[in-house]
Amino acid sequence: MNKSLNSFLKILFTFFLAILVGAIFILAIGENPIDAYLALLKGALGTKLGRGNVIAGFTPLLLTATAFAVAAKAGAFNVGVEGEVILGGITAAYIGINWGFLSVPLLYLACFTGAIVVAMLWGLIPAILKAYFNVSEVCVTILMNTVALYIGSYLVSGPMSAGVATPQSKPVLVTIPKIMKPSSANMGVFIAILVVLAVIWMTYKTKWGYKIRTVGTNPAHADYAGINSKKVFIGAMLLSAALGGVAGCIEVLGVHGYYLDGFARDLGTNGMLAALIVKSNMLFTPFVAFFLAVLKAGAMAMQQATSVPKSIVDTISAVFIIIATMDFVISLRQRRKLEKELKTEIASNQKEKGGDK
Amino acid sequence: MSENLGKIFNLSLIYATFRASTPIIYAALCAAITQQANILNIGTEGIMLVGAFTAVAVSYFTGSWMLGILAAMLGGALIAMIMAVSHIKYNSEICAIGMGINLLAIALTKFMLQVFFHTSGSFSNPSIVPIPKLHMTFLENVPVLNSLFNDWRFTEWFVIIFIILLQFIFYKTVWGLRLRAVGQFPMAAETAGIQANAVKYQAMLISGLIGGLAGAHLSLGYSTQFVENMTNSRGFMGVAAMYFGGANPVLTAMGCLLFGFSDSVGARLQAYGIPAQFILMMPYIVTIVVLAISMAVKIQATKKKQSSLITN
Amino acid sequence: MSEFVVEMKNIVKSFGEVHAVKDGQFNLIKGEIHSLIGENGAGKSTMMKLLYGMYPIDSGEIIVKGQSMGKLDPKLAIQHGIGMVHQEFMLVNDLTVLENVILGFEPKKGLQIDFDKARKEIQHFIDQYNMEIQLDKKVSQISVGEAQRVEIIKTLMRGADIIILDEPTAVLTPQETKKLFEILNNLKKEQKSLVFISHKLNEVMEISDRISVMRQGLHMGIVSKEETSPLDLTKKMIGREVFLHIDKTYEKAGKKILDVQDVWIPSQKESSKIRGLSLHVNEGEIVGIAGIDGNGQSELIEAITGLRPVERGHIFLDGKEITNLSPKKVREVGLAHIPEDRNTRGLNRTMSIEENLVAVEVDKAPFSRGMVMNTAAMDRHSEEMVKRFDIRPTDYKLPTSSLSGGNAQKVVVAREVSMNKKLLVAAQPTRGVDIGAIESIQKTLEEAKKNGAGVLLVSTELEEITSLSDRIIVIHEGTITGELSAGEANENNLGLLMMGGTVDHQVKEDMTKQQPKVDVEDHQAKEGVTEHQLQEGGNGDE
Repeated sequence: MNKSLNSFLKILFTFFLAILVGAIFILAIGENPIDAYLALLKGALGTKLGRGNVIAGFTPLLLTATAFAVAAKAGAFNVGVEGEVILGGITAAYIGINWGFLSVPLLYLACFTGAIVVAMLWGLIPAILKAYFNVSEVCVTILMNTVALYIGSYLVSGPMSAGVATPQSKPVLVTIPKIMKPSSANMGVFIAILVVLAVIWMTYKTKWGYKIRTVGTNPAHADYAGINSKKVFIGAMLLSAALGGVAGCIEVLGVHGYYLDGFARDLGTNGMLAALIVKSNMLFTPFVAFFLAVLKAGAMAMQQATSVPKSIVDTISAVFIIIATMDFVISLRQRRKLEKELKTEIASNQKEKGGDK
Repeated sequence: MSENLGKIFNLSLIYATFRASTPIIYAALCAAITQQANILNIGTEGIMLVGAFTAVAVSYFTGSWMLGILAAMLGGALIAMIMAVSHIKYNSEICAIGMGINLLAIALTKFMLQVFFHTSGSFSNPSIVPIPKLHMTFLENVPVLNSLFNDWRFTEWFVIIFIILLQFIFYKTVWGLRLRAVGQFPMAAETAGIQANAVKYQAMLISGLIGGLAGAHLSLGYSTQFVENMTNSRGFMGVAAMYFGGANPVLTAMGCLLFGFSDSVGARLQAYGIPAQFILMMPYIVTIVVLAISMAVKIQATKKKQSSLITN
Repeated sequence: MSEFVVEMKNIVKSFGEVHAVKDGQFNLIKGEIHSLIGENGAGKSTMMKLLYGMYPIDSGEIIVKGQSMGKLDPKLAIQHGIGMVHQEFMLVNDLTVLENVILGFEPKKGLQIDFDKARKEIQHFIDQYNMEIQLDKKVSQISVGEAQRVEIIKTLMRGADIIILDEPTAVLTPQETKKLFEILNNLKKEQKSLVFISHKLNEVMEISDRISVMRQGLHMGIVSKEETSPLDLTKKMIGREVFLHIDKTYEKAGKKILDVQDVWIPSQKESSKIRGLSLHVNEGEIVGIAGIDGNGQSELIEAITGLRPVERGHIFLDGKEITNLSPKKVREVGLAHIPEDRNTRGLNRTMSIEENLVAVEVDKAPFSRGMVMNTAAMDRHSEEMVKRFDIRPTDYKLPTSSLSGGNAQKVVVAREVSMNKKLLVAAQPTRGVDIGAIESIQKTLEEAKKNGAGVLLVSTELEEITSLSDRIIVIHEGTITGELSAGEANENNLGLLMMGGTVDHQVKEDMTKQQPKVDVEDHQAKEGVTEHQLQEGGNGDE
């Protein structure tokens, strides 16, 4: 309790620092930061369209942020969520276009299932490479994102092309109903919330979640206690991928109604950003995702109302993440130095004893 | 068929490959130098992007490509130092801070683009002075060599020198030796009286300078404009190539040529109905496979060394 | 100026709560080989690392060549002619031998490193001390013995005349050791002063001029070789306190519960590889494995518990083969395991006491129903455990990172013992815990035995081994050097066996001969040995 209060205060502090840095930038270009921030808030929350945009932006972000966080809980740095969103999306589009022989409810189910399965198969590759060959999952997933992007791009400019100027697929037969028109917010947000709640519940209340948390914090202990750290690691990566798949499916069925090349741009990255800001604390992640969605939705209004470029919002988010990754409390540092000394001592005493890791 | 092949694989492909590779080579060297100090420079992409913007801006305002490059290098170094301080001093997880830097770079350059040039998307202007081409008149009448080597950009020639220079620095100089020692076994370096963290800071600083240069080449040499997110994963490709080449400059550059080669071939193949995407994704897949195989071999070797059945 | 090139007075050094050196004293005369001996964790390595400036001292004084050192760091130490050959070699694997030797002190020629000059200088030392070194090989390609010579050359290149060798022979074969000693003697002839840290008494007796003994961070005296004997040193190292024998009941040793048959186990270190080892543990007995750290105990334990592969041979638990089964399956057959390293294996320090208490059985009833964890059952269990094992603080929702060493270990013990498994493997169960916790942990092991479990106890604490075990197996470089019953074992004969047993050839040979015969009934033969040993001991100290 004390711990989570502490980390909450730290996030709050970091947040104000980021806002402050943003304010300095705004001042530097001769604008009033308070006006700018107010315009932003008004744009995001003051109108129905704004609120709709917040929800529309929040939906995929919530899923991708949770996807990153759940992998991080098992000790993985899964940059590959974006690729999983893409492949989940293209699969949902394929099924949604071609499997008209299914009844409507079954078709919905098939779209989601297909998206999840394909995304998981995709996520399996870096997971296995890391668990059994110790290949950096960061590098592999970054590379695989590009491959996924090309696969999607190929499919909608070739076999699945709608035959229009932009690379996109034909429309899908089933769509997720929109709410709050004219924004692209849709019922998918409820699916996302339910899925994320289930994942959070799983992480903190079930034995699988316990195993994931154990492996992420101390794989040697997990193996000793009879928890197969490799399998659990792979499992968490798969769950992460599945969430990416769901996000892709919702974007295709809910927002666009077809697969649009490049629709997933930055969805994975921004989700990762939200998770990194709170060090993958899954209870805080949704709030950061929401906050980022507000920033993004309000940015345009701010740019129109004042002459502050909307990219200030991304700058603030980036500063937020950079500060959040640092441990900058002095007293803590002092202690850690001592601990480090002790650790090297222990390590040098025990290195000889081996251990295959 | 063979006629088509001839069209694809002709002499100009060699320069096209090299041209496409150059920005990636710079990026890969930026990542290689920190990798030698055991810092995975995921922020290469961001450093490069900041460099690209700074180069265009300074070149535009001063009319000097040299000042543009210089400013880009300083900008890159500044970004790299943010990363260095937060990683080395404040224990930021390297991937997290690297990704943060990349996002900052994208946002900051967008922001600056709007502030300085009141535009978004891209900025090109005749006042941007590009890096000049090196025209050698004596080559004009030599058939093959002329098409191969004439009219290279200054920074394209320089990258070759630079690869050799880094190879020399890494493996022949005192600093390079210490850098490698710090990267592989910092305690050994410390017991030899070397301050490991100081070496790491130096590596990050130089990496920033190189990354800035990479960006400058991209925006003043490879093209003459700034486009939002114009690095387009070239930084990540550089990191992958660095893995591929084990942070050895020459081998790393080879890896980059693989990217450049598939880039140029892909562009040509597209004309013949082979989807460019397949060609474009090949280098990524190849890199993943190579990484996996090299790690598997390593694991087998360790297993053998530790076996009780074999006496060493 | 005093006669000493190095003097260390009243040295104190703690790492957090670990008091590594409580009262360290040391001095070194020019041109001598001075051995520093003591059990594992006695503080000898720490003392020398302090001299080399790797950590700052908390208090005390270090004087080098008459000059009192304020703040020491490795660079400064090197400048004052101190060189150290670390137990874990400070060599960069992917660099060549030549590069490693010159690291930090590279001769330059323009911008380049002057490799030719370096080569010449090194060759000079190679010839002078008759060392075989291949300068152009990568360190990963050379043998351990050669790597060690490289380390020595490194110190010489840096101009050291005071050379510290931290357990240099621990990783060497006897032949390599012989070669090393030749080099050390040559160095001594050249008026270099050497510090030789070791456990191995026979080697210490062979090579040293003077010997310092440390025990539990305390200085136990300096003696010259002529004035001492291995047994005398053993006693100084281990201490002569009367053993607190816990009431042992050893009448109902039942059927074989653990049966290890000719196992071969891999290891990073040559001397820790196990090549053909057999042992067994019966129900209702504690079998102790004594030995110096790093002689294959950890590998053996990991193999039994499923954490390390077995390359040849078989392991049976309760009649079922468990060779190369996963830890989970081995546990299901009937294993409880107190690991030697509670901070990495034993506990997940970021998690709560409660979560750690159920770590092993979290997916079984009552702690989880279906896939959901049953917090109520976990709370009940934790409450009971905290009470029964006197874990403090009693708030089991606190993370284990806030616990002291003793209480942290109690959490591990509580978890493993409360399951009442047939076999309890306990590795270093009382390492780094306070006296109170030691007593309660040892009592718990004794109780487990009374309840019919077979207990395999690994400890470097001889006192613990002798006071708890019914049978004692001594392990050295991955092989069993002897097996004794509780009655016949004492620190002397155990100590000798642990150190390879070459101090008294007679004893060792007797012991090996008797090994197959030694069991509970065979008291006659054993008493013979013990008496013989005690007589030996009498010459020394008594």
